[in-house]
Amino acid sequence: MQKEEFQRTEKKSAYELFFDMPVGPQHPALKEPAFFKFKVEGERVIGVDADVSYNHRGIEKALEYRNYIQNIYLIERICGICNVAHTLCYAQAVEQLHGKEIPPRANYIRLMIEELARIHSHALWLGVAAHEIGFDTLFMYVWRDREVVMDIIEMLTGNRVTTAINTIGGVRRDVSDEAKYKVKKGMDILEERLKYYRNVALNDPTVNARCSDVGILKPRDAIRLCAVGPTLRASGVKNDVRLDDPYTLHDEVPFNIVTCDTMDVLGRVVVRVDEMLESVNMVRYCLEHMPNGDVKIKLSLSPPVGEAISRVEAPRGELIHYARSNGTKNPERYKVRTPTFGNIPAVCDMLTSKGDYEVNIADIPITLASIDPCFSCTARMEFRDVSKSKTWVWSLEELKAHCKK
Amino acid sequence: MEWLLELLQILIFPGIVFAIVLAFVYEWFDRKIYAKLQNRVGPLYTGKSGILQPFADFVKLLAKEDITPGEVDKPLFNALPIVALTLSLMGFLALPITGLRGIISFNGDLIFLIALMTLICIVIIYSGISSSNRFSTVGAERAALQLLGYEIPMMLSAISIGILAGSMWVYDIVNTQVSGIWFLVGPSILGFAIFVLCGQAELERIPFDIPEAETEIVAGWLTEFSGKKLALFRLTKDVELLYLSGLAVALFLGGPSGPVISGLEPILYPIYFLLKTLFVLFLLTTLRALFARLRIDQMVNFSWKYLVPLAILQVLLVRVIV
Amino acid sequence: MSMLKEIQRSLFKKRATVLYPFKERERVHIPDGLRGKISFDRDKCTGCLLCSRFCPSGACEIVTDEKGKRPVFHLELCLFCSQCQEVCPKGAINLTEEFELAAFDRKAFTIK
Repeated sequence: MQKEEFQRTEKKSAYELFFDMPVGPQHPALKEPAFFKFKVEGERVIGVDADVSYNHRGIEKALEYRNYIQNIYLIERICGICNVAHTLCYAQAVEQLHGKEIPPRANYIRLMIEELARIHSHALWLGVAAHEIGFDTLFMYVWRDREVVMDIIEMLTGNRVTTAINTIGGVRRDVSDEAKYKVKKGMDILEERLKYYRNVALNDPTVNARCSDVGILKPRDAIRLCAVGPTLRASGVKNDVRLDDPYTLHDEVPFNIVTCDTMDVLGRVVVRVDEMLESVNMVRYCLEHMPNGDVKIKLSLSPPVGEAISRVEAPRGELIHYARSNGTKNPERYKVRTPTFGNIPAVCDMLTSKGDYEVNIADIPITLASIDPCFSCTARMEFRDVSKSKTWVWSLEELKAHCKK
Repeated sequence: MEWLLELLQILIFPGIVFAIVLAFVYEWFDRKIYAKLQNRVGPLYTGKSGILQPFADFVKLLAKEDITPGEVDKPLFNALPIVALTLSLMGFLALPITGLRGIISFNGDLIFLIALMTLICIVIIYSGISSSNRFSTVGAERAALQLLGYEIPMMLSAISIGILAGSMWVYDIVNTQVSGIWFLVGPSILGFAIFVLCGQAELERIPFDIPEAETEIVAGWLTEFSGKKLALFRLTKDVELLYLSGLAVALFLGGPSGPVISGLEPILYPIYFLLKTLFVLFLLTTLRALFARLRIDQMVNFSWKYLVPLAILQVLLVRVIV
Repeated sequence: MSMLKEIQRSLFKKRATVLYPFKERERVHIPDGLRGKISFDRDKCTGCLLCSRFCPSGACEIVTDEKGKRPVFHLELCLFCSQCQEVCPKGAINLTEEFELAAFDRKAFTIK
C-alpha cells in the first residue's frame, strides 16, 4: 500500500481556536512520567511538544561507584521490562573489554532468554495497546496468556521479571532437560495463542478501525528521525541489530526480520506479533541445538584499560552501551542509550497533522503507545554548572539542535 | 389512604428505593458478567460474591473530599449531579413493573421517556462545559456529537413500535404485546437491535464510551467531579442502565407480562421484569466486552451510514405490516 | 468474529484468576530455585565478607559477634539477585522459596 506524500504546509484553521492539551506527567494513557503538550483545535491535533526528563535517576553516575559485578544488578534496573537486553548488552561490553569469548552453551541460553523476554515484552505491549484503544477484553486475554512465558522465565531464572541471568563471562544458571521439556510445551501453547491474536489484529473490525491509517511514519521520515526497532520495521525498513551486527548466536540461529509496509499502528501490532512468532521458533531451535558444556567462564574483576561499545536489539529497538575502563574495579565511564529515546522524535512526527493526514485526540494514546515507550529509561542527560550551582535539563529541541551542530 | 399508598409506591416499591437498590445490583451483575467474559472474577469480597461492591464504592465516594475548582460555574456545577439523578429516577417511575402501567403513565409518555434520555445527555454536556477543564470540554463536545449520532435511530426504532401498536402510550404498547403479538419474533427484531446499540451509546459504554474515554481524555466530562457529585453521577449511570434495559423490555419484550396464575400478578410481574431486564443487560455487557472503543468520527459515521437507514427501514417495514 | 467465539468460550470456562491470598493457595505454583527470602547458616560462615563486597544494594551489613565477623541481611534493601549465594565459598547463604515477606515489624526483615 503506497501512501501519497503528505503536504508539508499547515492547513489554515477555520476557527483559529486552539488550546493546549496536556498529556502527562500523569495521564491514564502514560504508564510513566513524560509530558506532551498538544496544540489542539477541537479534536484535531496540530502540534506537539515533548518533555521526557521527569525521572532522572543518575544511574550512569552510580555505575561509576560500584564494581562490575554489582553493576549487573543496577543496569538491570534501568528498565524492568527489557532487563535481559540491558544485562546482555552490559555483559557483552565488559567481555569485550576483557577480550574473551564465552562458552557456546552460555550463548545459547543467553539467546533463548533474550527471545523469551522479547515475547514477554511484546505481549505486555499488545495488552497495553489493546487497553489504549479501550479493548479491555483483548487486554485481559493477552495478559492471561502472557503468564505462560512469565512462568517459563520464572522457572529458568528464578524470577518473573528481573531475571538476573546474564553475568560477566556467561550465564548464572544452566537449563535442565526437564525445564527444556516445559519450555517446549509452553512454546506450543504460545504459538497457537499468538496466531489467534494475529487473526484478531487483522480481522477485528474495531481494532482495524482504530489502528489502521493512524500514526503514519513514512520510511523516509523514519530514517531521517532515527527511529529504531519495531517502529522502524513497521515502516518497511529492514533494520535489526540481530541481522546487521550479529551478537550471541544470531548469525547461527535462523530467523526472519519481520517488516510491514503499512507504516501505521496496525503495522506495528502485526510486526510485534510476528516477531513473537519468530522468537518462538528461535527458542525451539535453541532447545534442540544446545550443546553441552560450561555455562560460565571466570573473568577477573578489573578488566584491562580500554573502551567497548555493545549493541543489542532490545524488544523496543536498538540498545547501545558504551563502557570505558581504567583498569580498576569500577568503570570509568558508562553510557546507555535506550531505544525509546531514539523513537521520541518519530512519535512527535506521527502526532502532528500535516495536510491530509489528520491526527485526532483519540489517536494520541495508541500512537504514543505504538513505539512501546519506556520514558523513565530515557532521562539521563542533565547539565550542571558548578560555578553557578545551576542545574538544567536539555529539551528535545536543544538536543536536536546540538546534534545538528 | 389512596395517596399514602401512592406515596409509598413512588418512594419505596416500585419507586425510588427499589430503583436505587436494583441499580446497584445491576451494576454488580454487569461487572460480574464482564469479568466472566474476560476470564476474571470481578468483585469478590464485599458481601456474597461481591454483590455489595457497587454500594461500597458509592459510600466510599460519598465520604471522599468534594473539590469544587475555582474556575467552574458553581451553581451549575453543584446542581447538575442532582438534576441528572432526578431525571433518570423519573424515567424509572414510568416503567411498567408491578402491572402493565408504570407509576407515571399518560397518553403519549413514550415521547416523554425518550425526551428524558436526551435531557440526561444535555445535562452531561452542561456538566462538561461548566467544569472549564480542557478534558471536560472535549468530553462535552464529544457527548454532543454522539447525541447527534445515536438519538435519531433510537427514536425511530421506538416510534416504529408505537406505529405497530397504534399508540404512543407505553401502556398501550405493552397491552398490544400481551394480547397476542410477540413483537420481537415478528418485524421488530431489527428495531430491538438498533435500540440496544443506541442504548449502549446513551450509556457511554464501550464501544461508545467516547465522551469519557479514559485513556484519551482522563474521564471526559466527569474529570472535575469528585466526592458526592461523582457518586451521584455514578448512581445516575446505574439507574440509567436499569432504566434503558427496562424501556427496551417494555417496548420490545412485552414489558413485565408473561404466563401468570391469576391473583399472583403483583408478584410474578416484577419477577418477569427482572428476568427480561437481566437478559437485555446481558446483551449490553456482551457488546461491551466485544469491541474496542470507536473514534467519535467513526461512531457518527457508523450511526448515519448504517443505523439511521436501518431504522428508517424498520419504520417502513412496520408501516407495510400495519 | 473470532472475538465472539473466544468470549463465548470464556463464559463457560473456569476463571484464570487465582484467588491467592485467602483461598486457593495450592494453585500458586512456585518453581524450584525461586530467589526468595535469604536463609543464613552461621556455622558454615567463615567471615570472608565476600557477600558484603558484592552486594549491589548494601543489604549485607557486617557485624562482629562472639565467633567473629559475620553478615546481617536487611531484606528491605535486598534485591534478591542471589549474588551473595553465588560468591559464598562455603554455601552458608541460601535463597529459599519463601516469598511472602510482608510484615508489620521492621525486625522481620533482618536475617541473622
